[in-house]
Amino acid sequence: MSTIYDPLFDCKMVGALRAMHGINDCISIIHGRNGCHCGALLLQTLGSEQNSVRVLTSGLKASDEVYSGEERLSSAIRLADQVFEPKAIAVLNCSAPVIMGEDVEGLDLLLEGETRSELVAMDVGGPEGPAWIGYEEALTKLVSRMRLNEDVPRGGINLLGFKADDLCSRGDLNEMNRILRDQGLPLNSVLCGSSFEEVKKAPQAELNVLLGGDGLDCAKAMEEEFDLPYISVPYPYGLKKSVQFVEMIGGALGREADPQILEMERERVKRTVERAHMFFQGIYSMPVAVVGESGRAFDLAEFLSSELGTDVKLLAISSSNFATLEKMTAKEAHYQRLMIEPDRWDMNRALEASGAALIFGSSFEKRIASELQASLVRVSYPVIDEISLSDLPFAGFSGIAHLCEKIINSILTRNKDEVKA
Amino acid sequence: MNPEELDLISRDEAPILDTMRRIYSAVPVHHLAAIHGKIVGALAVADAIVDALPLIHGPVGCAFQRKLNPFNLSSTFYDTPCTNLNNVDVVYGAEEKLCKGVVEAYERYSPRLIIVITTCTTDLIGDDIEAAVEKAMEMVGCPVVYSTGDFVGRSRPVGIQDALYAVADQMICRNEVEKNEGSVNLINSPTQRNALKFQEMARLLTQMEIKINKICFDHTTTEDMMDLARADLNITGYRMPWAELMKEKMNVDYCKITGWDRYNKKKDPELISPYGIAGSCRFLEEIARIMGREGEAEPVIKKNRTAAEARLEAASKELKGVKVAVPVGFSLNLLKDIGVDVAALVYRTQTLSHGLTERAVREIERANLSLAELYGFHPELLVNPTPDEELKTFRKRQMDLVMAPAKIAHFYNREGIRTVDVGDFTQKKLNVGFLPSIELCRVFREALGKAKVRSPLLDLMEFDGGISNLTPHWAKTALSFHHLRSKNFRDGYYYHFQGLAGVELNEHNI
Repeated sequence: MSTIYDPLFDCKMVGALRAMHGINDCISIIHGRNGCHCGALLLQTLGSEQNSVRVLTSGLKASDEVYSGEERLSSAIRLADQVFEPKAIAVLNCSAPVIMGEDVEGLDLLLEGETRSELVAMDVGGPEGPAWIGYEEALTKLVSRMRLNEDVPRGGINLLGFKADDLCSRGDLNEMNRILRDQGLPLNSVLCGSSFEEVKKAPQAELNVLLGGDGLDCAKAMEEEFDLPYISVPYPYGLKKSVQFVEMIGGALGREADPQILEMERERVKRTVERAHMFFQGIYSMPVAVVGESGRAFDLAEFLSSELGTDVKLLAISSSNFATLEKMTAKEAHYQRLMIEPDRWDMNRALEASGAALIFGSSFEKRIASELQASLVRVSYPVIDEISLSDLPFAGFSGIAHLCEKIINSILTRNKDEVKA
Repeated sequence: MNPEELDLISRDEAPILDTMRRIYSAVPVHHLAAIHGKIVGALAVADAIVDALPLIHGPVGCAFQRKLNPFNLSSTFYDTPCTNLNNVDVVYGAEEKLCKGVVEAYERYSPRLIIVITTCTTDLIGDDIEAAVEKAMEMVGCPVVYSTGDFVGRSRPVGIQDALYAVADQMICRNEVEKNEGSVNLINSPTQRNALKFQEMARLLTQMEIKINKICFDHTTTEDMMDLARADLNITGYRMPWAELMKEKMNVDYCKITGWDRYNKKKDPELISPYGIAGSCRFLEEIARIMGREGEAEPVIKKNRTAAEARLEAASKELKGVKVAVPVGFSLNLLKDIGVDVAALVYRTQTLSHGLTERAVREIERANLSLAELYGFHPELLVNPTPDEELKTFRKRQMDLVMAPAKIAHFYNREGIRTVDVGDFTQKKLNVGFLPSIELCRVFREALGKAKVRSPLLDLMEFDGGISNLTPHWAKTALSFHHLRSKNFRDGYYYHFQGLAGVELNEHNI
């Protein structure tokens, strides 16, 4: 095994940030050095929600590494509370203060009664683990803030594993909400894509639904604490997975999905395909590669292979989750080669060898796509060089048209003269 | 790269590159709402040396997140291998891992130079980086240098300065060097990489019989970096401790184009700017003196100046008397050359106050006002004006043009005031020489031909009254950042930032 590693995933801090920043009235304080704060801020800023970036620094300096930065952090918390008036403040304790042994969780006690917002503090030092662990831990951390009101009947479902900073996430959430509502399955809370108050009311739901297996630790903790069952569903890319998404959730609640509605959706998708069927015929068997997070990329690869008929030469999982192992050992693989959290150098060699004409990935695959003269469809985190303002989804029945037009256009719009023979 | 290769870089002129740079110009990094850390600075240096490879000695986040390049957000640092530190390494140290990592990096990427970049994790655990690098060097076929951020004190940007210092100290400075007598190096920032900017200067120096040894950074290789030691003089854009080190260790003299040293000696405001016709003549004469080429320089400067002045006369005809509002910091020499009337000076000190003392901030104001008077301008000085104050003054003075970046142009355009954005000019053209003044005429003429009144969609939203390029939320974010970071913070600088009043400050924050 190599000593050096050019990672496809981020550190624990960014995983935790992605979770906490999804709570739309929570502000995150990065208790770390400049670089950690700058990186975290940019990841949230270079997307399509620039009016809702809520990332502050504690201002930790080199001298604080000698004398402790807890006082500085306290000031930052007070300032965040008074200036931004959030409902929650997430304190993310990065590498340097973790090594220094800063007690950020103890600050909760120290500042008790001083701030109106609730404090959620956690250690997220870089050496402590990858982003997906940070994401899982952050969701789990929220369980202690949740309250079950026994006087109110349970209803609705919670979506866990939603990531508000994914490209087209807003559209995806709207679409998932729509197709569930059409089946009489209202959403209760989205972790994390709700207000803090809604997150706290998550135990009122009837069911926790894990998108692509993300959020398992949180679901288990909620099951234990609130006796709330959970299921894991595929991320609803394409027709088959969208139907599965609805049927599995309905099934878990003992309700059958309305076949008429599903038939209408199917008819709508059919009309979409008809409008550009010659191009759908044209991309059948096209060699492609998928680079993305476990909670999304397995399902995307299956859609591409099973429904569009493309030839998925390589599936590179950039970031795992607790369900990765199970998905790796699934009976029918919709890819030729699978790499789990590979080194970028190794992955690039595999992409070269794959002969993929189209890569589904993040902005960081831009160079290799260009070198291989392949088209790049940005679907995976992080996308920092494309925005989505029209709120068109990738997920669900409506996502099929959007995803397919992106795929086909990414080929049609290429200037052949720029591509060397 | 060598000067004769200059014609190879015209591809860098594609207009889309300017647009790609500009589209990110409103993102408030660079001391506005965030400061990038030392790692990205060092990565920028590694990226500017085309055959160099960075090796980040730290955990995965330091490698993944730092792929974002705050100096140029449209350009990612694609190769960022790291030593993948974990908790075990934090306890037991990671020197051996680093040593192995260097060898693996060499075998895998075949670079001509490896730059090891430490992170706060390795800085805290106290790895002996020097020893690990020395050991690794015995096993690889290229130089290996390391940058910790500790070599250059507070010289900014620390990451860039430190990595360049490391390259100079650990690689360039050596005993036996075959000198390229009578030659100079022209050096810009590793983040700019635009040798074209030096084209005219290189031509003038060559006419003065001063040889050009290297122009960097632009397609610069490790060999180019090694060859820097062959010159007699380094000419840099601004203060660079690595050039000072080369002077000390290699006797390569050092001269920086900008800087307040010249002004400070005589308090002569004309010495502030090295640009424009007068500033360029002074700087070229200074180089000639250092290189012992005064005799050769005089006729060259005279001939080129005369030719440029004749062209300028024609090019600036339409600009005579055009009233312009100018931000303090832009070279007044250039504006005098093109014949406009500087009717207002807008001085925004908010961000300056974090890098400069109050005295220095006032000195800049004094020097610019003196220079304006000297040139016959009678500008109204606006210090941190509110938008309303600005507009009132501009209307009163019947301003024809406001020098403003694209990100705030909408604010003036809706009021029927034209703007001129000199960002591209500053990035790509502004340097010592006679052509920038002529080019600036073109930029101003074009601006005067643009639509006067617009109805920008941006005006549908609310912007902050004090930091007019930011929304109120982002302004609060930026001000919180400064508040939490700065020792020099004064609430009074931010008249509109009432939200901070009442927040308890401790000694760290004030």
